[in-house]
Amino acid sequence: MSFRGVEQIMGLPISVDLRDGDAALAERAFAWLREADAQFSPFKPDSEVSRLDRGELTREELTPDLVEVLSLCDWYEESTGGAFTAQVPGRGLDPCAVVKGWAVQRAADILREGGASSFCVNAGGDVVTAGEPEPGKPWRVGVRHPDIADQLCVVLGVRDGAVATSALYERGQHILDGRTGRPVTGILSVTVFADDLAIADTTATAAFALGKDGIEWAAAQEECEVFIVDEDRRVFRSPGLPVHIC
Amino acid sequence: MKRAIPVLALSVAGLVPVWLYSPGPAHEGEISEVAAPETQAQTQAPKTTSAAPKTSGAAPTTQQQQQQTQQAQARTVNGPAVNTSEGTVQVQVTLQGNKITDVKAVRAPNSEPTRMALPILKQEALKAQSADIDTVSGATATSQGYKQSLQAALDGAQ
Repeated sequence: MSFRGVEQIMGLPISVDLRDGDAALAERAFAWLREADAQFSPFKPDSEVSRLDRGELTREELTPDLVEVLSLCDWYEESTGGAFTAQVPGRGLDPCAVVKGWAVQRAADILREGGASSFCVNAGGDVVTAGEPEPGKPWRVGVRHPDIADQLCVVLGVRDGAVATSALYERGQHILDGRTGRPVTGILSVTVFADDLAIADTTATAAFALGKDGIEWAAAQEECEVFIVDEDRRVFRSPGLPVHIC
Repeated sequence: MKRAIPVLALSVAGLVPVWLYSPGPAHEGEISEVAAPETQAQTQAPKTTSAAPKTSGAAPTTQQQQQQTQQAQARTVNGPAVNTSEGTVQVQVTLQGNKITDVKAVRAPNSEPTRMALPILKQEALKAQSADIDTVSGATATSQGYKQSLQAALDGAQ
């Protein structure tokens, strides 16, 4: 009883590799992700986020889930001195940077609560794993080389952990420094390993937004291990990173 | 559930970024009070409404601090004693220039001074390779990018 499939949700290819669960369980995780997209997308006029942004909802009227997402946004904004923000001046509210990791982590929780103990979910390059793909072996998570699309720069060995990468190579300079509103420079790729994808993904994005200062900042996050490539192609790696091959 | 965030770990870890990016008025071995409300907020973990951090109004002066402290000697600074639901916490940070090289709790709820293992960064050269893998971490957002990605090849492999 296993399942493997990909769906395009939240604008992302989301792959589920479920070693001990069936298509019906995977569909529950996909269904949650579609719900999360409908609720949190700033690109959908009817979403809770869009309604809040238009002033049709007050903070008191929000669902606990959106309150949780906004609290995470606030915490990282505070922690980065505003480099990470869900509200770039002159633009609408956009909590996507937090929503993605948070929602995918919850999808993984749904799989786990449904009885699965061995799976890997990959949402646009952000990964949550559970258990082992086969006894005695970790999930081998390759980190894409920032310059060479079909090569890796490190392989992590992960059991019950999350890996997220923020990088410039595909979408152009898409991460803005909230302090200046300008695209961030200084780092090519930030990979963060943590127990929880909401933490890993947001830490990676926030580190990226800080530019070179993000290297030390991310390494200092207590629950995170990092692998960072700066624009001079130097690699910064914290010793606790679960390196499988490097 | 995995998503639960260990409360105390977060409160201590949170101090580090706050101090790294502490506002201008913090000078010469003194941590301003700005860290305090942040710490109290963080003892709740950033998951609930009540945990929404109180605004410190901290303006980023990292660049400035770096310039000022680039050549500085090692120095230690004590943070404010913060009352948390677990007890009083006070952390001492050792800085080498603008880099934090050590953090230890000088007052912790269990009274024993505890040392926090800070990840010390190692620097190395970027390498490229191929290897057997189960999945790929990377910033893959567009469908075109996905089609050409290693991950797509893996997804289609079975």
